[in-house]
Amino acid sequence: MAIFKRIGNLMHRARVDREIDAELETHIELRIEENVARGMSRDEARRDALLKFGNPAATRERVVAADAALGIESFWADVRYAWRQIIKSPGFSITVVITLALGIGVNTAGFSSMDAVVLHPLAVPQMDRVVTIAELPARGGYANVTLANYEDWQRQSRSFEEMSVHTSADMSLTGAGDAAHVQAALTSASFFSVLRTQAILGRVFVEDECQPGRDAVAVLNYGFWQRRFASDPAVVNRKIELDQREYTVIGVLPKAMQYPSEADVYLPFAPTPQQLANRTAHDYLVIARLRDGMTVQQAQIELRAIAVRLATAYPATNLGWSVKVEPLLDGINGDLTPLYYRLIMGATLFVLLVVCANVANLQFARGIARRPEIAMRTALGASRSRLMRQLLTENILLGLIGGVGGLIIGGVYLHVILISMPARVARYMSGWSNTSLNGRVLAFSLLLAIAAGVVSGIAPAIEALRLNLVEQLKAGSRATTGSGRSRWLRSVFAVAQISLAVALVIGAALMSKGMWGLLHVADTYEPSKTLTFSVTLPVARYDTPQKRAAWYAASLEKLRTLPGVTHADISTALPYTDRGWNDDFEIESRPAVPGKDQRALRLQASDGFFAAMRIPFVAGRGFTKSDSLDSVPVAVVSPRFVAQYFPGQNPLGHRIRMRVGDKHFDPWVTIVGIAEETKFTLWDQTQYSAVYLDAAQIAPTNATYAVLTGGNALALAEPARKALAALDPALPLDTVETYEQLLHDSLTGLMYAAVMLGIDALIALLLAAIGIFGVMANLVGERTREIGVRLALGARREDVLGMILRRASRLTAIGLGSGLVLAFLLARLVANLLRGVRPDDPVVFIGITVTSAAIAIGSSWVPARRASRVDPMQALRSE
Amino acid sequence: MAKTDLQGTLDLLVLKTLAQNGTLHGYGIVQHIQSASGELLRVEEGSLYPALHRMEQAGWIAAEWALTETNRRAKYYKMTAQGRRQLQQAEESFDQLVKGVRAVLRYA
Repeated sequence: MAIFKRIGNLMHRARVDREIDAELETHIELRIEENVARGMSRDEARRDALLKFGNPAATRERVVAADAALGIESFWADVRYAWRQIIKSPGFSITVVITLALGIGVNTAGFSSMDAVVLHPLAVPQMDRVVTIAELPARGGYANVTLANYEDWQRQSRSFEEMSVHTSADMSLTGAGDAAHVQAALTSASFFSVLRTQAILGRVFVEDECQPGRDAVAVLNYGFWQRRFASDPAVVNRKIELDQREYTVIGVLPKAMQYPSEADVYLPFAPTPQQLANRTAHDYLVIARLRDGMTVQQAQIELRAIAVRLATAYPATNLGWSVKVEPLLDGINGDLTPLYYRLIMGATLFVLLVVCANVANLQFARGIARRPEIAMRTALGASRSRLMRQLLTENILLGLIGGVGGLIIGGVYLHVILISMPARVARYMSGWSNTSLNGRVLAFSLLLAIAAGVVSGIAPAIEALRLNLVEQLKAGSRATTGSGRSRWLRSVFAVAQISLAVALVIGAALMSKGMWGLLHVADTYEPSKTLTFSVTLPVARYDTPQKRAAWYAASLEKLRTLPGVTHADISTALPYTDRGWNDDFEIESRPAVPGKDQRALRLQASDGFFAAMRIPFVAGRGFTKSDSLDSVPVAVVSPRFVAQYFPGQNPLGHRIRMRVGDKHFDPWVTIVGIAEETKFTLWDQTQYSAVYLDAAQIAPTNATYAVLTGGNALALAEPARKALAALDPALPLDTVETYEQLLHDSLTGLMYAAVMLGIDALIALLLAAIGIFGVMANLVGERTREIGVRLALGARREDVLGMILRRASRLTAIGLGSGLVLAFLLARLVANLLRGVRPDDPVVFIGITVTSAAIAIGSSWVPARRASRVDPMQALRSE
Repeated sequence: MAKTDLQGTLDLLVLKTLAQNGTLHGYGIVQHIQSASGELLRVEEGSLYPALHRMEQAGWIAAEWALTETNRRAKYYKMTAQGRRQLQQAEESFDQLVKGVRAVLRYA
């Protein structure tokens, strides 16, 4: 069909052209008639008429241009012409297309990943209307919501279409293969309608099922369904056992609904009337959908007014509490992820700029070769704007072809990144698994392709049109050299490439260096030789401290007897894992100062923990076998704790007690030792005071095991699993991996960003090297004759070599200079992302500067050498 | 501020010419402007025809082919209702321009 339309267009175009020709011809004929009537001879009259009329072809083109109906037609003519030009010089075109494809490809990949993870992590319609609501305690920070407050908000507020509440629970899945630890989200039925989500299989639960006794139904998360049930469509109506209670699976959520990100299964939240009246248990998360026309701000104002009313009504529990309303997207993304992506996108756009500069340089060179063509078209009456449009069409077409290549490169790149992301990390990244080349990505790439075409084409096009018509036509088709101005412009573009590349490489190097530091932060613990896993003891069966302590004692004893094990211990947190809670505590016979928080990191560890982690004691003793549930509860504190709460005093012998939850306290514990400062945080820069409690005396429900071996830690995974299954077959082990893997998992996002940045930097450096090579090669080519003359007049070959290299060095120096300025700015950004990165790291700055200079001058070496080898006789004869 | 430029002036001249003469072909318009201005204004053909086609696209003038007195086929233009409104506007803004320029020139 398209072919008919095109023929139709051509016929149409021909008809309109004929009409315009006829009209203009009539005009000339009418003047001739009049001239003849005035007494001129026929020839004279004709000559006068033509002279007055000017160039008929040019006038016709302008009339055609005025014809809107033909605008499209002439556009197609431009495209066809551009296509012919592209085909005519395949070497040039392929180079340009590949370069552009590379630049657009990295952007496509970066953007599609950002789109999936940051911009559209959940397939929720009108996501910007969905908010999270948190409570703000008087002491600062955020808190979850109490059910009674939630009920009051629901009754009194007008800002929301709907509100929902959810909370999480650790559960053991039994009766289907190995016992497994699953994360359940207990949600109100409105949870699904707030998110406007449906099940892809079966259904989600309804209001009716959110009542005690009728709530034995479960909805599965997509990933969990895939992992645990092998995507079996017959899963609906199957019975599963969670914490020894039977549930019926009623549905599976879509893939793009991984929220809350750690949830495996959704169960109806069926609160009792007592729970609903509770104003002290801040245990619940609230999400809500705003009514149309309401803003986040308005909703917050309304809820704060309600909070004030509740504070007067229930001062004991609500005084000083306020409310914070925030878009759900902000909560999902956190602070770091969007920052990473901004960094990556910034870097890839840098690469695209380098690509554009490179292509622009190629276009400059080609512009010189195309001068005769442009001169000819100008002479035939083409206006500058017409030629400009033609040249830009050509560039945009190249950009679009590059864009197609970019989509292919981006697709491959994405595939590699997707399969290299460990599944255990991807699980917790909402949206990661939805990464694809979707419509938004296509639109983005299309936009970039056009922009790249225009940006890389505009300067060469302007330059190509700045020609002296008479000179050019006189020169005919002889080879011509570029003007000084065009050479200057090409140098500017080469310099820009160098400076962008250097900035990018320095940024990437800083990031890699910081990254390296983080990856090896825990090396003193020999993390590759340590096996870790966590255990959550089901509260129902391990309901007393005795039972829990007995489990830990038995399990550690069993693990310690395994061959190759040097230590087996537990702690609620291992160093650098960002786990553990910062809790309030009291010091015996020292009244709390109002407004002054007493808080410390609460760690529960087994007796061998300090030895296993090689934490020496500054004073006192550690935990021993004789510390038990029957003896006096003891604690070990950190030097920071002493400095903060017992400055200048001996803390040993003093008693403290830590608060668990809102009302409940641990027993009083006596400080018996001070253990050397140990860092338990990786991302969090705050140094916390630490209090270690003996896990045999105050036994946690949840602990991480560290099993130290002399060698291969993973080989111990199976024996350890078997040994513990012999003690309690229904107890699942979570994330069985080496300590090193555990640490690296939390760095995956950063590694991803560092790798992306590194790839971008390498591409930019390569392009910059090609860029300066091109400029120098072109320079040598244009100056061959001059060099020949110099050599003939007695210049030595070293002089010529030096002359060319000096020029290359000057360009490189300017590029490096401006690149370093840019790098300082970029370095600040990286330093914000990564602690331990010095934005003025001298090793990196000097190292990269020297390397880049070497690469730039190295790539000028080949053309410079060619220049010094010029045969004067041949050079002089060739023109 | 009156919005007038050189192209606008050409449009105004063409519209006024057609308003006074009914239908005319391109050559006739050139001739009329030249004689009506006392030989002061000469319209370039290279500008006139693109302008005529543009105004036709805009719907200010309509065109049809007809025979001249000398039996030659020519494209005749005449003003549309829309063109009449455009002419009125163009005349007003041109008056403004002239007044403005005059005022500046007289300013001492």
